[in-house]
Amino acid sequence: MRLRSGLVLLGVVVLLLASRLVQLQGLQPAAYADIGVQRTQDIVLPAMRGQVLDRNGSPLALSVVAMNIYAEPRTIAKATCQKGATAPCDAQSIAAAVAPLLGLKVGTVAGQLAANIAANKAFLYLKKGIDPALAQRVMSLNLPGIGQESTTQRVHPNHALAAGVLGFTDYQGIGRAGIELAMQQVLAGKDGRTVARFDAAGRVIPTGGDSHVDPIAGKSVELTIDRDLQWYAQQLVADQVAATQAKSGTAVVMDVKTGEVLALATAPSFDPDNRTTGNFTANPAISDVYEPGSVNKVITAAAALQDGIVTPQTVITVPPTYKVAGHVLHDAEVHGVEHLTFAGVLAKSSNIGTVKVAQQLGADRLYAMMRNFGFGAQSGLGLPGESAGIIPKPADWSGTSIANIPIGQGISVNAIQVASVYATIANGGVRVQPSIVKGTRDSAGHLTPVPAAAQRRVVSSAIAAQIRAMLESVVSEQGTAPLAAIPGYRVAGKTGTAQRVATSGPMQGRYDGSFTSSFIGMAPADAPRYVTAVVLQGTGAKGYFGGVVAAPLFSKIMGFALRSYEVVPSGTKPPTLRLSVP
Amino acid sequence: MTDWSTPRVSPVRLRPSGVSVRERMLDRTSPLRQLDWVLLIAVGLLIAVGGLLIWSATRQREMVLGLDPQAFVKKHAINATIGLALGTVAALVDYRALRAYAPFVYGASCLGLIAVLSPLGSTINGAHSWIVLPAGFQIQPSEFAKLAIVVGMAMLLGEKRDGESRPRDMDVVQVLGLCAFPLGLIMLQPDFGSMMVFIFVILGVLAVSGAPARWVGGLLLAGVLVGGFVAPHLLKDYQLNRFRVVANPGADPQGFGFNVNQALIANGSGGLTGKGLFHGTQTQGRFIPEQQTDFVFTVAGEELGLAGGGGIILLLGVVLWRGLRIASQATDLFGRLVAAGVVSWFTFQSFVNIGMTLGIMPVTGLPLPFVSYGGSAMFANLMAIGLLQNVHMRSREM
Repeated sequence: MRLRSGLVLLGVVVLLLASRLVQLQGLQPAAYADIGVQRTQDIVLPAMRGQVLDRNGSPLALSVVAMNIYAEPRTIAKATCQKGATAPCDAQSIAAAVAPLLGLKVGTVAGQLAANIAANKAFLYLKKGIDPALAQRVMSLNLPGIGQESTTQRVHPNHALAAGVLGFTDYQGIGRAGIELAMQQVLAGKDGRTVARFDAAGRVIPTGGDSHVDPIAGKSVELTIDRDLQWYAQQLVADQVAATQAKSGTAVVMDVKTGEVLALATAPSFDPDNRTTGNFTANPAISDVYEPGSVNKVITAAAALQDGIVTPQTVITVPPTYKVAGHVLHDAEVHGVEHLTFAGVLAKSSNIGTVKVAQQLGADRLYAMMRNFGFGAQSGLGLPGESAGIIPKPADWSGTSIANIPIGQGISVNAIQVASVYATIANGGVRVQPSIVKGTRDSAGHLTPVPAAAQRRVVSSAIAAQIRAMLESVVSEQGTAPLAAIPGYRVAGKTGTAQRVATSGPMQGRYDGSFTSSFIGMAPADAPRYVTAVVLQGTGAKGYFGGVVAAPLFSKIMGFALRSYEVVPSGTKPPTLRLSVP
Repeated sequence: MTDWSTPRVSPVRLRPSGVSVRERMLDRTSPLRQLDWVLLIAVGLLIAVGGLLIWSATRQREMVLGLDPQAFVKKHAINATIGLALGTVAALVDYRALRAYAPFVYGASCLGLIAVLSPLGSTINGAHSWIVLPAGFQIQPSEFAKLAIVVGMAMLLGEKRDGESRPRDMDVVQVLGLCAFPLGLIMLQPDFGSMMVFIFVILGVLAVSGAPARWVGGLLLAGVLVGGFVAPHLLKDYQLNRFRVVANPGADPQGFGFNVNQALIANGSGGLTGKGLFHGTQTQGRFIPEQQTDFVFTVAGEELGLAGGGGIILLLGVVLWRGLRIASQATDLFGRLVAAGVVSWFTFQSFVNIGMTLGIMPVTGLPLPFVSYGGSAMFANLMAIGLLQNVHMRSREM
């Protein structure tokens, strides 16, 4: 009888437990399920940033996976050495295990851990940016309170090569300058994420993590830059800046048919992997604007020829001095009254002859031609930080403007804009918008080209040909830049030597006595393939004539480009233009 | 009076030669045929499930410490094997002969409990309940004392009277005296959980023995009164906190309520089918202290869900039901009382253990029979099962 009641009691006990279990798990599971995922943390899986490649696919900037090893002092403080434990379990033994692998001193790490435990700190980096294989070895020690986080490092196999174009990424891997900034969206990819679960001691539970999104790697950006040409140009510019004690220098090589920039070299440069010294805040080729000087005479000439004011053989009387609105104009060389052809005016870079033609042309037509050639607007290269320069509107011109602007004073332009003007002449008068990005490559290597560059006709091909012929005589023995000649090739170009407005220092905004020395040219002159612009800023200490300090660089860089792209010399002779009449 | 000295048929007598081993094993009178297989299988399943749960609860910690992740499972298996051997002995020795040994069993237990209180004893997890032996072995004498008190009470109450009469008041007083000594020793440890098991076993055995209802009722009432008015003054603060948590489940989740709160999260987040073995966030994150021992049920609740937890309750129910069945079929009072004592013991211990992980009982250091990790408990539990089988085999002979 009492056993029967025992059975009843048993039934009650079982039912009581079972119903409580059902109540907990069956009826209110959501309430606890939420708490059941306590101590989880979203861990970002960084997407691998795309590479920046040169036009032949050589990497200029790439990311590698690296690991940071960190310690959690609070977790280590809680770790207790259990009897029979063979693994490290306190600050001293953890330091002894981890320090040798990281190439650190055991005593140093132990001291760091002890100090941070004493300060009740939660987190401490032990070493950043180590090789993943090494990090794996550290993690396989299974040390309490030692963790790793994945990160990526941007490396530049060629160091300073094209650094001004590439720009750099910040500590978070976000592009902050140059292509890295301009193409941030493409390069960055999409970070993945995973949910890590932590145990009561704060360690990641390996079996946890049921929510996982893989990162999507960024696409690579293929530039129009030619690595070898870039390297060569960069070396030469750096050497010449040093030799002439110039402030800075730029060399631009552009493909005249496509507008692609093959080289964009600036000095001084910087090493993106070690950004402690150097100018890395801007790319002077696009951010520095200057008075172009005589190179602007090409635009004046184009406008005058276009409107039929002159032909290359029109004779112009050039007096020793010429007065415009009270301003006395000189030529670079002192001379008597000369009778130059218009070709001679350009070849000898006569200021007076150019201004006399410009006066017939007038402000409006000159202004329109300058804008048509792309001055006063961003070049369209797409690099961040480009300055459009300043071209005053005719309404704002003063009485002396007609004596300054035609010869490249009182306006400001950047090196890419100038190169683009000459590329337009070289391309038969059609301006192709300059570009530096060829396209993007996905992880499979498939190239998506950028949209074709915008084109527009600026002058007729006949006038472009006339200007080219006139520019060829610049490089002749009678011209201003015989040093720009390239043996075997016909070369056309123009020197520029302008007083320079200081961009910084006490003389900022005023002529500081230094010069902008430049040479812009194209080759082969009979069928131009490339335009090269060499611009040295702040010359004067050791020579300043564009034909002397810039032209030799042009010759070497352009020669390198012609040879590396196997451009065959035509073997034709340059036309012999009459430059002056008795 | 039962004549236990000359059993009519020996369960292990030799059969005539010429009969094959197989025939002998399947013979109606073979001990194998007379075992309660349902009980054995239920116990075996509980031990096996226990092994899985212990594995899941300990592997992470062992791995982190650079130790064998299966160390606890292996020891669980060894404990079960040794327990099986001890249980076999307990089953084979005729329980009626066991009566003669009862005083020794009782005396040995009391000595063990005294040893715990002597310098030989050790404190583990706040309870001074262990004797640490060389080579990493520990003995918890209170587990064996549970067995001893069952056998001792059955001897006193079963021997002194013929089948028809009920225990007299004097017998009850004797029994209480017998129990008082080990109970006092356990109170000194202090092992509150074991003490409650003892009291419940005493009540259960007394009730089944046919002792006057006034004794059973009186003891119950005394228990309630002591529990309600005296205990609050005797218990330490941490023990009282365990009751406070039951009354107020959200209390101090980072302090004294931590264990219960984490256990509730574990059980509650398991849902119908659980998160899968080795995939419980509470378990693998080791949020629940003592999970492989006293809180092993939470592993089942979290990783195997309602199905797993309910399965364990069901298996325990089967064990207890078979125990009661054996008690009711026992041919003599001693056997019946032994069975009743074992059932009382397991019932109470299972209920308190599972109840505390479900937040309806205060936390006490009681393992879940057969499932929890722990040698002493496993040995004592399996010896108790051996005794049940012993009684079962010998009641079939009638």
